[in-house]
Amino acid sequence: MPLLELDKLVAVYGKVEALKGLSLKVEEGEIVTLLGANGAGKSTTLRAISGLMRPASGSIAVNGRSITGLSPDAIVKLGVAHVPEGRRVFPGLTVRENIMLGGSNRRRASRAELEADAESMFAIFPEIEPFADALGWTLSGGQQQMVAIARGLMSRPKLLLLDEPSLGLAPLIVQQVYKVIAEIRRQGTTVLLVEQNAHMALSVADRGYVLETGRLVTEGRPEALWDNDEIRAAYLGRRTQKA
Amino acid sequence: MRADDAKGMLGRALFAAAAILTVGFANFTPLAAYSVNLLMQSSTYAISVLGLTIVLGYAGQINLAQAAFFGLGAYSVALGTTALELPFFPSLAIGIVLAAAAGAVLGLTSLRLGGHYLAMVTISFQTILALVLINWVSLTRGPDGVLNIKRPSLFHGYFTDSGHYLALCIAALYGVGYLVWHLRKTRLGRAMQAVRDNELAAGVVGVDTYHTKVTAFTLSALLGGLGGALFAGGFAYISPDQFTFSESVVFLTMVLLGGARSPVGSVLGTGLLILLPEWLRFLKTVYLAVYGSAVILIMVFMPDGIWGFASSMGRKLRPRSPIALAELSPLPLTREVGREDGTTILEASRLSKHFGGLKAVDEVDFSVVRNSVHALIGPNGSGKTTLLNVLSGIYRPTKGSVAFEGHDITRLKPHERAGSGIGRTFQNVRLFGALSVLDNVMVGAERPGHVVEGGALGLERHALAALDFVGLAPRAHERVGSLSYGHQRLVEIARALAGSPKLLLLDEPGAGLNHVEKDGLVDLLKRLKGHGLTIFIIDHDMNLVEQVADHITVLNFGRSIAEGSPSEVLRHPDVVAAYLGEVESHAAS
Amino acid sequence: MGFNLQLFFTGVGVGSIYALVALGFVLIYRATNVVNFAQGDFAMLGAFSMVVLAIDLALPYWLSIAITIGAMVAAGALFNLGVYYPLRNRTFLPVIISTIGASILLENGVLAAYGPRPQSLPSVFSIQGFSIGSVFLDSQYLVILVVTVVMVTLQYLFFERTLLGKKMQATSQDKEMASLLGIPVALMIMLTFIYSAVLGGLAGILVAPILFVSVGMGSSIALKAFAASIIGGFGDVTGAIVGGLALGVIETFGAAYISVPYKDAFGFLMLFLFLLLRPQGLFGERVAEKA
Repeated sequence: MPLLELDKLVAVYGKVEALKGLSLKVEEGEIVTLLGANGAGKSTTLRAISGLMRPASGSIAVNGRSITGLSPDAIVKLGVAHVPEGRRVFPGLTVRENIMLGGSNRRRASRAELEADAESMFAIFPEIEPFADALGWTLSGGQQQMVAIARGLMSRPKLLLLDEPSLGLAPLIVQQVYKVIAEIRRQGTTVLLVEQNAHMALSVADRGYVLETGRLVTEGRPEALWDNDEIRAAYLGRRTQKA
Repeated sequence: MRADDAKGMLGRALFAAAAILTVGFANFTPLAAYSVNLLMQSSTYAISVLGLTIVLGYAGQINLAQAAFFGLGAYSVALGTTALELPFFPSLAIGIVLAAAAGAVLGLTSLRLGGHYLAMVTISFQTILALVLINWVSLTRGPDGVLNIKRPSLFHGYFTDSGHYLALCIAALYGVGYLVWHLRKTRLGRAMQAVRDNELAAGVVGVDTYHTKVTAFTLSALLGGLGGALFAGGFAYISPDQFTFSESVVFLTMVLLGGARSPVGSVLGTGLLILLPEWLRFLKTVYLAVYGSAVILIMVFMPDGIWGFASSMGRKLRPRSPIALAELSPLPLTREVGREDGTTILEASRLSKHFGGLKAVDEVDFSVVRNSVHALIGPNGSGKTTLLNVLSGIYRPTKGSVAFEGHDITRLKPHERAGSGIGRTFQNVRLFGALSVLDNVMVGAERPGHVVEGGALGLERHALAALDFVGLAPRAHERVGSLSYGHQRLVEIARALAGSPKLLLLDEPGAGLNHVEKDGLVDLLKRLKGHGLTIFIIDHDMNLVEQVADHITVLNFGRSIAEGSPSEVLRHPDVVAAYLGEVESHAAS
Repeated sequence: MGFNLQLFFTGVGVGSIYALVALGFVLIYRATNVVNFAQGDFAMLGAFSMVVLAIDLALPYWLSIAITIGAMVAAGALFNLGVYYPLRNRTFLPVIISTIGASILLENGVLAAYGPRPQSLPSVFSIQGFSIGSVFLDSQYLVILVVTVVMVTLQYLFFERTLLGKKMQATSQDKEMASLLGIPVALMIMLTFIYSAVLGGLAGILVAPILFVSVGMGSSIALKAFAASIIGGFGDVTGAIVGGLALGVIETFGAAYISVPYKDAFGFLMLFLFLLLRPQGLFGERVAEKA
């Protein structure tokens, strides 16, 4: 059974239908990417999964068990961690504190355990170790992204939802971030990755879905998607694609 | 329109009849002193509370010092008629002027800051005034208060009789009530409501928000002073403890209970909160505690107050009458035919906007050709909306300049840009939620510097014509909230069009629209361009952009990376890389 | 010189009370963006509770304090549930007005239960105080200072050194992100309200032997606490403390050198000046002007 399954998900912001009946699945151990232009509904999909927004209809299931309508802290306890768009590192707390708080869903973890786990995060993200006691707001975008991902991993998730990790980052930093994403999968965490930067995402994903204004327009393996005109059309329009 | 006109006239006639009856009743029927006092307190308080309707109900600004303004009016009459031995009405005039001046000063100094700062300033003013009233004994007679306040001596002391004086107060109440009611439908009233519902959009659409808020605050203080002045004459004795913060809270509760947005609500709330304790006298000690819980409960369950609740129920049962379309004349815009003549209407030079270390917009140059559709595109986070906000005047650029029709507009405020002919819509529709469709569009038509023949009526016809252009004229009198998102988007466009703009800035007009609505939008944009309007548009939907744009500028990381026609730009390798992320030939270095 | 030191000592004592109330008020603001107009009434409740327990019921002083603190815990929880929670998603105006309503409710509830006569709580100390040189250090003022220092220190340690304190800080800084990590946001807010109520109540317990205990005492302390927090920098914890102390000192000196009846006005005049010249206060971030 798939680790995550969405079935005909409809999500509404006020009067606007952001998702119009989306169905997709993610198998354990995969990296699946959700692509599409801005406004396509990618972030909305993650927000619905993590419980930040309640779908209007449709269902979301983790390992067969429905999580539709549960609160965010209930969902993170079930092993689904969401690293939202824009990093959102707590500006007034240190890097170490930010990372430790990532383990807040682990009720039985002692403070010592959390501290030890945070230390081990520095092994995966060596670039941020020198900043362990620096306040969140002083970090660069790339460093904050590392902290946000480390924080997400602290909850020991089965499924990690990553929302636009490359947003606003210089290309070299993006490559570093993606090395980390590949490593995360190697260590056994399943990843659902939302990205606008299709090339980077497809370089690391096993499969991809392409969204356009709330609907799925195509899906497939990276090589197939990359050659597919649909993906270019979704981002850059249809008319001018006739080269 | 005819049906509404007739209804309006009937309403006015009924109002006038009610006024004459009540005033007559008060004047000629002998009433017990107890009743007279109650009614006098009610009517003078109601006048003051109507001031809160203006500042809080219409303009959405908090005023916790209404009792201080009430006190200024009261003390002016008290000291004027006793110590200074002036007649009643001149003392009243002084009181009103004093209160209004205090309100203006307070407003001018604190309305630049938001919400709770204004609350603090009004409380401080209230507290200081209360202290002065108690302690400056030589001026105010201190805690003993002022006795023997005189009433008007007109007509051989006609008003010395309490019944007659009461009639005077009630007549004043009707007069003020009518004016406050009428204010809603004036340009100023609409501007206030626009500020309340969406201050940012109000500014961009042409409302001088600061000036509007100060005016609302001053009017509120003025009415507070008027109420207080009449109060003093009515009761012949006042003392400082009648004008404390607690009384300001009482005024506030009255306006909230009845419903801040309507003068009927304020009068209703005042009446209830003065008369109820009398009728519930046996509950007196517990009543005040109940009072406090009532405020909380009102805020939770009935934020629009009793009258607000009742009228929204009534609105649901009684749909608005549709508008008669025969009288609509088309927008003047439609008489023009557009021709691209190559001149530049908008020019950005080395425009930059930095937020601390983040360069959201970095040395961007572009020119927008008159009568063209110019699109600005770029991946998420590339700086498009920031750039548009700089063009609208919401942000000051860190460097660089913007010129519109040859004039440097870099330092102009948003409402001034609207005044020079720049219209704008927002990515998340920003309409004035409590106003009707037509009123929303009227605010756009009322932008500074917009000259339309026919005065106020001409502006209304112009607004209707704008609505007709987008196809929504039949829904002019509905509340915007009842429209679908796509239609709300069209109303926003009509609002911008109603100001007869020369340049229209559209921020993701396609966002949230379905296919059919987007096709309609494309048609609309093409028609506008056909009539000579210049359009500057941001959107993510490339299909839409391809269909309407003549010229495209592409941003990435705050810098311009490509310029040209759609076919050139959308196949440009740098642009493809920016969107899809191919690593080679990255232009942002 | 001695006179000025005396004034300073008194001013800092009074200022500590303002600081404690301001602290509670700022914490609630940081966590929920709510301006709580009823904050001073927690002090009033604390003071009245002491009067009822220690005088009317003649319970031992220390027991009265313990019970009062317990009552303040309950008060904070009820306030959260009844006033904040139903309005947590609304704009700031209904919430401010609601807290004003809560203030009226609390004041008039106590008024109805107890009557309007001000009460007094006698000092519990056998020694009035002692002198250092020409400065007389009143016992009660000394206790206020000591308790304030202890509270501020404990609070610092709690927020900076404990995980729960960190979770509460995180909730203040980004509620949504905190919930995504599994932090129980509603509980964090409840704890904030409870703690703030206890701070207020503590201020009331400390100040009761000095002032008359009356129904309106809370409002005037609250107004000054707000002024203090704006002077110190709206939303800044250090600012609340410094602002409170500064206000106490200014008032005391003002009363001595300028005018006693207008003592209460000095704080507000300071506030006006700050709002005109430096709205962000001493420690606050720049106030964004509405464009």
